[in-house]
Amino acid sequence: MSPPVVFDSVEKIYASSKGRIHALGPVSLTFEPMATTAIVGPSGCGKSTLLRLMAGLERSSRGTILVGEKRVTDPLTDVGIVFQRDLLLDWRTVLDNTLLPAELKQLPRKEMVLRAQSLLNELGVGDFADRRPWELSGGMRQRVAIARALLCHPSLLLLDEPFSALDALTRDQMGVILQRAQGAERVTTLLITHSIQEAVLLSDRVLVMSGRPGRVLDDIAIPFPRPRPLSLRESPEFGAIAGRIRTLFEQTGVLAA
Amino acid sequence: MSVTPIEQGAPLADEESENAATGTNIALPLLSAIIGLGIWEGAVRFFEMPTYLLPAPSLVATILVQRWAILLEQFGYTAMASVVGLAIGLALGIGTGTAISASKIAERMLYPWLVITHAVPKVVVAPLLLVWIGFGVKAEIIFVIIFTFFPILVSTVTGLKSADPELLQLVRSMGGRKGQTLLKIRIPGALPSIFAGIKISATLAPVGAVVGEFVASNKGLGHLLVVAVGNFDVPIAFAAVTVISVFGIAIWYLAELLERLAIPWHASQRTTIAGT
Ligand SMILES: Nc1ncnc2c1ncn2[C@@H]1O[C@H](COP(=O)(O)OP(=O)(O)OP(=O)(O)O)[C@@H](O)[C@H]1O
Ligand SMILES: [Mg+2]
Repeated sequence: MSPPVVFDSVEKIYASSKGRIHALGPVSLTFEPMATTAIVGPSGCGKSTLLRLMAGLERSSRGTILVGEKRVTDPLTDVGIVFQRDLLLDWRTVLDNTLLPAELKQLPRKEMVLRAQSLLNELGVGDFADRRPWELSGGMRQRVAIARALLCHPSLLLLDEPFSALDALTRDQMGVILQRAQGAERVTTLLITHSIQEAVLLSDRVLVMSGRPGRVLDDIAIPFPRPRPLSLRESPEFGAIAGRIRTLFEQTGVLAA
Repeated sequence: MSVTPIEQGAPLADEESENAATGTNIALPLLSAIIGLGIWEGAVRFFEMPTYLLPAPSLVATILVQRWAILLEQFGYTAMASVVGLAIGLALGIGTGTAISASKIAERMLYPWLVITHAVPKVVVAPLLLVWIGFGVKAEIIFVIIFTFFPILVSTVTGLKSADPELLQLVRSMGGRKGQTLLKIRIPGALPSIFAGIKISATLAPVGAVVGEFVASNKGLGHLLVVAVGNFDVPIAFAAVTVISVFGIAIWYLAELLERLAIPWHASQRTTIAGT
């Protein structure tokens, strides 16, 4: 069972040789268990920073982050992360790539192989378990990365623009696949994306962020029942929500009208 | 709804042109070598060059056959020094490189020494080594180590340090500890770079051995070379150079073969396992 995640007045300031960059916040947010939250916002507004803070890969400059009762100070090890690049290891087969987190946690291989194989099947790449990553297409590689992230039943699934490098058709396909996997895994998910449509289609809640330093401009509940077909995007209700986000971007100058 | 992945087969046409290319890969260099030797042979005969200036390839070949026993005996010393020195050089280079990339303290302590020793011209050290270690095969091996240590050290450090930072973050979030990360991520990822270094070091090993024999040994092809040139016996000097070169080429291809076996997954090696 996933715990809730709470951000309390969290800010991140990067200090570099060229000066300080106020990257994020302050933001105060609660992420409910089992829900999928999408974040959209202009480039450089601190979305990836927020994700890394949640994973404990970075420490906040101000404020606190709680996962359940526990304050995040070190990297969390029960999270699954998928970045824009799949980061698969060329020297491992698809199956062994998927098993990497279990291997690092020294879990019994036998059981985990079954789990990995069933995840790969679920994601539609089960027949490629013995292949090397370079023998797969970009979309297939990213599915393997998702399987690897889900392998050890993480309490958080963190997706940082996982489909950005894929073509439009494959993106649509991946949206369907991700929903199916989520239905089976039921894991609290954070999805960062540049696509308003993707955010609305795949999430229970969309956070719209301002330019740097990123703050939450709007917090929109997405009420559509699941599973959601791609055709939902053509419905007026969907269009209304997407339009609301686009208008917000236009008003704040992210999108020039 | 189920999604069927599209299988990617290797295109046939590519495979065929690959095979054709392998054919010309061997044929063209061979042809080029034969033409070169032919011109050399022709020039020596046409200008009636004295053998103490430039022996014809046919004469060098004759010498190789006639005096194979002494060449082989001396080659034994050179080869032994090269192989032993290379093995030690690789072990030291890879070990030091791993220490440097694993620990900031090791890096700060070792780097100045490495830079200083590398900056000193190696040939200048030769007479000193003679004084410190004396004449013989030990000095020769040390020369090989000096020649082979740096390329492998640098390529090891480069390889280990070039691990993708985002990948390292991912591994940390999977609970990977430092040792595990080194073993499962950094070292495999560094192998292509390490093998590039091994290949450079491998070709430098015979060079180190011969330089060592020039100054600090009375054995080996390098010593034979010095004596032969002193006696104006240039044909045998050429024969010795031929043997050293063939050895250098052989050692290079051996390293390539090892590389192919060790990192079949790397982009540079993939054509060899395509179609499996
Ligand atoms: N490690 C770092 N050191 C210094 N500055 C950083 C670092 N990481 C990010 N920043 C800065 O913080 C700001 C936010 O970066 P972040 O990567 O979180 O943005 P983002 O919203 O994910 O952007 P994008 O949509 O382009 O991925 C940027 O201005 C960036 O330059
Ligand atoms: Mg980002």
